[in-house]
Amino acid sequence: MLYHLRKPLAFVVRDFGDAASYKLSFLMQFAGIFFSILTFFFLSRLFRGVVVPYLQPYGGDYFSFVLIGIAFSGYIGVAQHSIAGTISSAQEMGTLEALMVTQTGIPTILFSSSLSSFVWTTIRVLVYLILGVAVFGLDMGGANIPAAVLILMLSITSLGGFGIISASFIMAFKKGDPLGWVFSGLSGFLGGVIYPIEVFPGWLQKCSYLLPITHSLKGMRLALLQGYSTEALLPYILALMLFTAIMLPLSLFLFQKAVKRAKMDGSLTQY
Amino acid sequence: MSYIIETFNLTKKYPQIKSYHEIIVHPFQKREITALDGINIRVKRGEVFGLLGPNGAGKTTLIKTLCTLLLPNEGTALVNGFDIVKEEQEVKRSIGYVVNDERSFYWRLTGKQNLEFFAILNNLSPNRAKRRIEEVLRLVGLETNGDKRVKDYSTGMKQKLAIARGMLSDPEVLFLDEPTRSLDPMIASSLREFIRRSIVEEGGKTVFLSTHNLAEAEDLCDRLTIINRGKIKACGTLEEMKALLDKRKRYLIELEKPAQGFIEGLKGVFPFDVREALPGGGIAIEVTVDERWKVSQVIEAIVRHGGKVVACSLMGRTLEEIFSRVTSHRDSGEGVEGERG
Repeated sequence: MLYHLRKPLAFVVRDFGDAASYKLSFLMQFAGIFFSILTFFFLSRLFRGVVVPYLQPYGGDYFSFVLIGIAFSGYIGVAQHSIAGTISSAQEMGTLEALMVTQTGIPTILFSSSLSSFVWTTIRVLVYLILGVAVFGLDMGGANIPAAVLILMLSITSLGGFGIISASFIMAFKKGDPLGWVFSGLSGFLGGVIYPIEVFPGWLQKCSYLLPITHSLKGMRLALLQGYSTEALLPYILALMLFTAIMLPLSLFLFQKAVKRAKMDGSLTQY
Repeated sequence: MSYIIETFNLTKKYPQIKSYHEIIVHPFQKREITALDGINIRVKRGEVFGLLGPNGAGKTTLIKTLCTLLLPNEGTALVNGFDIVKEEQEVKRSIGYVVNDERSFYWRLTGKQNLEFFAILNNLSPNRAKRRIEEVLRLVGLETNGDKRVKDYSTGMKQKLAIARGMLSDPEVLFLDEPTRSLDPMIASSLREFIRRSIVEEGGKTVFLSTHNLAEAEDLCDRLTIINRGKIKACGTLEEMKALLDKRKRYLIELEKPAQGFIEGLKGVFPFDVREALPGGGIAIEVTVDERWKVSQVIEAIVRHGGKVVACSLMGRTLEEIFSRVTSHRDSGEGVEGERG
């Protein structure tokens, strides 16, 4: 088991070694998290003592609601941009050719290249939650942690599929990723990151269920803030499993096609 | 004969970027440029095979195609017996590719950390990776610099590190794309010595290298292929290429001090060039002989006109002359091929 994890771990060690060598930037990221929480903490004071019916399913507290949204929406960005970003950065840095000629398959390179971004985002999420609980009074006393971890895993795999399709666009066309643009925009707008989707009219709410982030954030909030049981969270878990089952194989297929196209037109390492 | 690389009518075409005007007027018309045009070569095990050509000749395209980084449009190739299109993973297990780009490393990591990363991607077990990294660093003379960050390496050190990375998995064949391009003459010379002695003679590996440095090709390669505009123009050992080109041989004939009017008289008999004046008033002339004028007939004619021949020697062609000749017929398609590959 550990042997098979060597390659992904090697990418994580490489990326953290690289990131940690830029010491100021490394430390500034943590400061950024603190100020982001602070902003939403004071924003939530606007709603203090006000009963907002839309927030009732999530416990009624806007700060708790938005903290989970902001913390976990980081995964959307990572899933959407980290794989494509890794590919284009390796093209620009000149390391892609050296990677592609190794005995490691493309899916492993893809998965492993983005792994450190997911690990980094998870650390950020943990920092968000720890600061939220310790400093700003976030209540997660009854959280269903195993279910939240399961939802997180499924969120990564389902969102990762969209990210791999974005990477396919980058591989094939170098710039311009219409899917990523539409997906990121719609996820931010319809996914329920800073407001609950219940504020939308019915037809728009239905549209929002076509995005994995909606199921991911809703399930995560209910698991962490309301302590829903795994059975009660099943609709969200099944929806994310369905997204994964469709998007992951489709995206890998498209990426293989994009690599083949790049190898045919000689643009594998061009950017 | 055991060949480690064989190509069969390998052809590679690149699509060209169309202008907006072309996209509108001819939306379905393809514009392509042929980078490799029906390449057939064979490389023997344990030799240094040189790919020589001017910039844009197709050298890098051929190397990248053999390393599975590009797909051919037509034809195929076998590397260590594996098809580059159908057996990509097996080909990758057989080769080391020394990427000709010093940016191909993670500059903020140390040389050793870079090698550890690529060793894992090349499926080396932790113990073997550790042992092998020490071996290759020693092999390229970087054993004391392994813990330095790559950003602090000189260009020559980065090139050596690239060779070390290419050798990590102990491959059967090592591809080097213009390995001495950005090195100073001293380091280039020591690198050539290293390739010949450590990689080929001691390591028993096959080296396939591209260069546009004629001296390097002459110095290092057992056999050569001259490529221009995607076509093989000449192939074989340097001697074979000289022999094939020298159907018209050139002789340097040294004569005692000639009499007045001798040169002018001889000019009407056969074409020649006066090359140099010799001590004592003698001269040396360069004569190109062919089916019409054999060397014996030339000497006979000289003697008949009162000249005294002191010495007569066959002039060899330099690689520079061969290269210049085969690459100057740019569009004629004329080439000189010895044994295929």
